[in-house]
Amino acid sequence: MPMIVGKQQGGRDLRSRILLAGALMSALMLVLAGRLYHLQITRGEEFTAKSFDNFVKETRVPADRGMMLDNRGRILVDNRPSYNVTLTPAFCQPSGAPKGYCLDEILPKLATYLSLTSDEVERVREQYRKARGLKRFRDFTVKLDVDLDALDRLEANRLELAGIDVVAAPHRHYRYGALAAHVLGYMNEVTGEELDGFEKKGIEGYVLGDYIGRRGVERRFESDLRGVDGWRKTIVDAKGRKIRGSSHLLGDLDRLTPPSSGHNLVLSLNLPLQQAAEKAFEAAAAGALVAVDVNTGFVLAMVSKPAYDPNKLTGRITRAELRAISEDPLEPLIFRVAQEHYHPGSTWKVVTALAGLKTGTHGAHNSVFCNGGYSLGRRRWRCWRDAGHGTVDLHHALKHSCDTFFYAMSDRMGIDAIAEMATELGFGRVPGLDLSPEVPGIVPSTTYHDRVTPGGYTKGLALNTSIGQGDVNVSPIQLAMAYAAIANDGTLYRPQVVRRIEDPDGKLVRALEPQVVHKLDVKPEHLALVGAGLNAVMNEPGGTAYYRRLKDVAVAGKTGTAQVVKLGSTRIKANQMTFFQRDHAWFAAYAPFEQPEVAVVVLNEHGGSGSSDAAPIAMAVVREYFRIKAEEEAARNTPPPEPAPKATPSASPPASDPLPALDSGTTREASRATKESAPWT
Amino acid sequence: MDLVAPGRSTARQLWRNIPWHILALALLIAALGVWNLASASRAAYAPIWKSQIYWLLIGLGACAGTMLLDYRYLLKLAYPIYGVVVLLLVAVLVRGHAAMGAQRWLDLGPVHLQPSELMKLAIILVVARFFHEDPHTKEGYSLLQLWLPALLLAVPVALVMKQPDLGTSMMIAAVAGSIILVAKVRWRSLLVLAAGFVASAVFAWAYLLKPYQKKRVLAFLDPEGDVLGAGYHASQSLIAVGSGQASGKGWGHGTQTQLSFLPEQHTDFVFSVWGEEHGFVGAVVLIGLYLVLLVMMLAVAASAREKFGSFLAVGVAAMVFWHVFVNIGMVTGLLPVVGVTLPLLSYGGSSVLTNMIGLGLLMNVAMRRHLF
Repeated sequence: MPMIVGKQQGGRDLRSRILLAGALMSALMLVLAGRLYHLQITRGEEFTAKSFDNFVKETRVPADRGMMLDNRGRILVDNRPSYNVTLTPAFCQPSGAPKGYCLDEILPKLATYLSLTSDEVERVREQYRKARGLKRFRDFTVKLDVDLDALDRLEANRLELAGIDVVAAPHRHYRYGALAAHVLGYMNEVTGEELDGFEKKGIEGYVLGDYIGRRGVERRFESDLRGVDGWRKTIVDAKGRKIRGSSHLLGDLDRLTPPSSGHNLVLSLNLPLQQAAEKAFEAAAAGALVAVDVNTGFVLAMVSKPAYDPNKLTGRITRAELRAISEDPLEPLIFRVAQEHYHPGSTWKVVTALAGLKTGTHGAHNSVFCNGGYSLGRRRWRCWRDAGHGTVDLHHALKHSCDTFFYAMSDRMGIDAIAEMATELGFGRVPGLDLSPEVPGIVPSTTYHDRVTPGGYTKGLALNTSIGQGDVNVSPIQLAMAYAAIANDGTLYRPQVVRRIEDPDGKLVRALEPQVVHKLDVKPEHLALVGAGLNAVMNEPGGTAYYRRLKDVAVAGKTGTAQVVKLGSTRIKANQMTFFQRDHAWFAAYAPFEQPEVAVVVLNEHGGSGSSDAAPIAMAVVREYFRIKAEEEAARNTPPPEPAPKATPSASPPASDPLPALDSGTTREASRATKESAPWT
Repeated sequence: MDLVAPGRSTARQLWRNIPWHILALALLIAALGVWNLASASRAAYAPIWKSQIYWLLIGLGACAGTMLLDYRYLLKLAYPIYGVVVLLLVAVLVRGHAAMGAQRWLDLGPVHLQPSELMKLAIILVVARFFHEDPHTKEGYSLLQLWLPALLLAVPVALVMKQPDLGTSMMIAAVAGSIILVAKVRWRSLLVLAAGFVASAVFAWAYLLKPYQKKRVLAFLDPEGDVLGAGYHASQSLIAVGSGQASGKGWGHGTQTQLSFLPEQHTDFVFSVWGEEHGFVGAVVLIGLYLVLLVMMLAVAASAREKFGSFLAVGVAAMVFWHVFVNIGMVTGLLPVVGVTLPLLSYGGSSVLTNMIGLGLLMNVAMRRHLF
């Protein structure tokens, strides 16, 4: 038993000390409270911000890119949902799973379900190995744009595929594949260098991995098509993992800053006409076609062949396919309408003719006798018809495409008169279609030849130039705009393909007006004379394209057969030449002759002769133009029972697209059409 | 009144004298602790708050057991208990169970024992006993007169340091030091002690501290300097507490807690859970509760029948106080990160048992203050 001895007063003795201890404790507790005040009240907001930085991860919600519609509101390009399969290493190989579980167990199954190639499997292995530390919680893409069958297989075997996710991502969808591919363009990933450039220019909104428009309208109207991305706040834990069902932690913070969609573009292209043009072009290996509204300069159809599928080039192309494209001798990536130039051949004769009329070298009734050629000095220039055309005036020279007449004309007026008229008609400078790099073409003049030709300018060069040979080079779009200017009595338009920019609800943002380059400094009667000659080509017996004429519509046109290589004294047949030696077949036309609406230019590269290898293609397009026009007029007279459904992205497959919407609400075009001479643009 | 035999008191008297207010307050704090753990453990997928309740029940049992035996028996038992615990500490070093880079646990069949926790109580006993018997109260102690408590303290502190467990050895020293201070030490002695402390701190930095301990100290001096390394705990803890702002994010809504940004959120950093979810108001309320508990404990010390009881009560109060102060100081970035639990809030059997036995000891003193 413990004994407690002496004058024990217990705690009483120690009271002052205990009191002191209590005071000290209180003081130190007060220090803690002060510290808490500093952290929670004074710096509370700072730490709150830091805690949000910790757990709130902002992910971008990509804006829907604007659609491209044809001139009747039919969707040409939109966005379709696509599904990418991703792998998150940390979840594929959870702690506790046997070593190599992800690569040896899951990956082979995945490869089977997705039909991965051995290359693709190897890439997955590589990326898996590269992911270390917290990066193991970041997913990477196994396969882009998985088809629905594979998706079903994945879904059915979901449970055995740890760490595998299917992520939906909108993908650009060119509904008609290669149709108008060069006009529409394509997209691919923005490069690091471009991003640096954007930063310097202050362009915002792009990050690595974003797609950006390449070529065509996609590129030219990138800023209109691209919307503004939104942001979604997601919650991540300390390891960067997304935590589902924790959104209450965000409190009243906005979870989503919605993206705003890009603007839709209403093109001037007409889908059925474009389809007809592509179809008519099927026989040709390579070439270009332009159909343009002569009264506005808006393009109705445009073909550059061979083409490519923009769906493939937009991030879905394999190396082999890309190599095939880049090694194709016909160079599918080149936009032949504006990016390449060719000898125009006899289609050029309108230029020489107008130059002759302007300079007064040859009036309407001056004649030349063609005996199958023209002699200058000791050389002789052959007419394409060895037998000669006899006595021809301007009208007949155009109708028969008599070379001799134009030789004689140019011999008298010289090359510079032709060059001047060519410049007037828009040749020799870039046409400003702005869908690709553009070539200005070549308009030879004395100064040009003095500069580039050994020995300088000699008179014979004017003769070559007069029939669109020699050094003359034009792009198909230049030729089309020149013929349109002749057709519309002298207004040279700048070619355009986009008519209107609309917001996603269809409200007009901006309308693109026809742009006049200039009024031709050419007398109307001269244009009329040339026009009459072009009419004769098709509509008078003996014209070079008489057999291509249409029953109902008078079409004016001009054939052209441009030599590519200088031939020897004896002509050889086309089938004796290699493809790249063969002539270019041209046809340039406009219709109706009396009240022109549409101009069509066809270049069948190395195709043979203008009348048999280019004119039929052009006439098919002209015929289709008037067929569609008649159809639309008929539809306008008998209104459809119900309003045509408004176009929505990927709402309906292309085949079931409504016919041109012509009722009041949806036909922006139709209401305009009644006021304009051409019902289309 | 010269000799007091504890056996004389009746059970009824004892029952009446139990300081129910202290018990109630302690249990209130423990209940808040369980509630807090229930939020903290949501992220950890293990309902540890349930095991905490079991530990509290066991602790209540231990507390009651401690109250049964008259504390004056402990005068005789103090040295033997101390000796046993020192032996256990030696045993830990010889064949202990290592966890997280330190040897702190002794494997006794089904139970893991942490003798360093027991030492916190044992040191109270021996130091209280030393000052109970030593008469040098009026003029205060000189350093030389303190050689024995100094030795009693140095042995376990060194042993626990060796594990290494800086936090616990500091706690043992702080508890003992508090009793020594209350027992009156000359001012001169205090100065010498302070000088000795600085000297030993320098010595410890140079020779004793492990690299990870140095890192922690450096991280404390500049917590933002190495956010992902040694300063990670400290800076995440600051973010948790600070982002609680005035009223907190609400129970179960602490993002730092729920999304596992806090390390050791059940044990040493449990206060940051509280601070984040209940804000400044909640934190001050909790600190206030602790302070009220401490004042009640000191009141027991002041009203104890004899010095041994007083020193025991002071020792228990000091143990609670230093744990609270160092733990919250660490969580709020006032002090470096050391492994010190928050009494009755931190999860863990050892901590709960130590505090509940200490509470029993204190109530033992309180209920027997009038029995003479």
